[in-house]
Amino acid sequence: MARLGDLERQVMEILWAGFGSELTGRDVAARLPGHAYTTVLTVLGRLEHKGLVRRERSHTTHRYAAIETREAYVAEVMHEALEGTSDRDAALVRFAQTVSGREAGVLRRALERPEKGRPPR
Amino acid sequence: MAGLLTAVAVGLYWPGATLLARARWSHRAPRAAVLLWQATGIAGALAAVGAGLSVALAPLHQSVIDGLRSVMAQTRAGRPFQGLGLYAALGLQLATDVTIVLVLGLSLTFVRTRRSRARHRQLLRLVACRTERAPGALVLDDHRAAAYCLPGLRPQIVVSTGVLGRLTSDELSAVLAHERGHAHGRHGIVMLPFASLDTLLGWVPYARHAREQVAGLLEMAADDYAVRRIGREPLVSALLGMAGFGATPSCALGASSIGIPVRISRLRDPEHRSKHVAAWALFAAVAVMIVPVVGLLVR
Repeated sequence: MARLGDLERQVMEILWAGFGSELTGRDVAARLPGHAYTTVLTVLGRLEHKGLVRRERSHTTHRYAAIETREAYVAEVMHEALEGTSDRDAALVRFAQTVSGREAGVLRRALERPEKGRPPR
Repeated sequence: MAGLLTAVAVGLYWPGATLLARARWSHRAPRAAVLLWQATGIAGALAAVGAGLSVALAPLHQSVIDGLRSVMAQTRAGRPFQGLGLYAALGLQLATDVTIVLVLGLSLTFVRTRRSRARHRQLLRLVACRTERAPGALVLDDHRAAAYCLPGLRPQIVVSTGVLGRLTSDELSAVLAHERGHAHGRHGIVMLPFASLDTLLGWVPYARHAREQVAGLLEMAADDYAVRRIGREPLVSALLGMAGFGATPSCALGASSIGIPVRISRLRDPEHRSKHVAAWALFAAVAVMIVPVVGLLVR
């Protein structure tokens, strides 16, 4: 499983590197020495099933492409981390929420003026 | 008995929840306070269901539990509503339906949450990397600051490069320890029913308060975990460091009414934790459970 996960990542890297164009399974396999063509096809199939890769048929060959850029996925993950997900679930437990303007003022004052009762370093 | 159980249910879910949400002592024993929120929720649900059942089963002149047993026996004998009358039978049917709808609704939000977590985990596996500076954590390449724990069977701690760039190594250790506190305490699982309940029944004061308060109390529990392992000062300065920038209007999602200023001033109080308060909160949690349970057992 872990190996398949790694391979998914490598395949995505290849598709992202050629983002905007479509690659055949053979193209991808050629860039992954040491992995069988069938394995690469399996991984591409899994990624397609997960909605990360789209497949197009031209003539007799299937061509694959990443649906979004790497940056778009990073942005999606960061958005969930900072704003929470749209359906108001508790997907993440965050360290610090974003802070309102009023709170930011309180914090700035706290920074400038250390409170009493603060233990010595 | 129906009257008492109704009073308990309404009392716990409305004035009780409002009072508990206003309490400041909870900040001194966050984990015990979370337990009290849980006990309040379960006790209120028992009382509410019990009240409905005791009205429906009144013609049997038995306690709710015994009445249910009789109905069960009658159902097996093929005449479930014998001796109950039309209204009681309808009431019983209604209580059953409401319970089923609630359970289904909660399961649905559970499934949705699980799915969105799985998607998040999958994307992390593709785009995040690891670094020696943040052992045990996945790193996201983004200039904004984010540090969080993705709950699950194996909770995953994630930080952004924005955090790595802004915090000293002590502060970073404190942040990672805080997140390990969430992972260790399974806070994602603790939070899940509260989040689901709020999504489902947001108009019930208990649902709204419990979600906000428990979210904040869990942050405090994770703060305490980090203080025990790394120390107070790095955690406070990390909180200040991470909250002070990117100050946008606060978003309501999963966010707690217990803000960062509250957490910081709490940490600066040398006596921010109290075993006494924790003991009283545990006592209250048990006490809250007793009334509805007795109400179900006694006629």
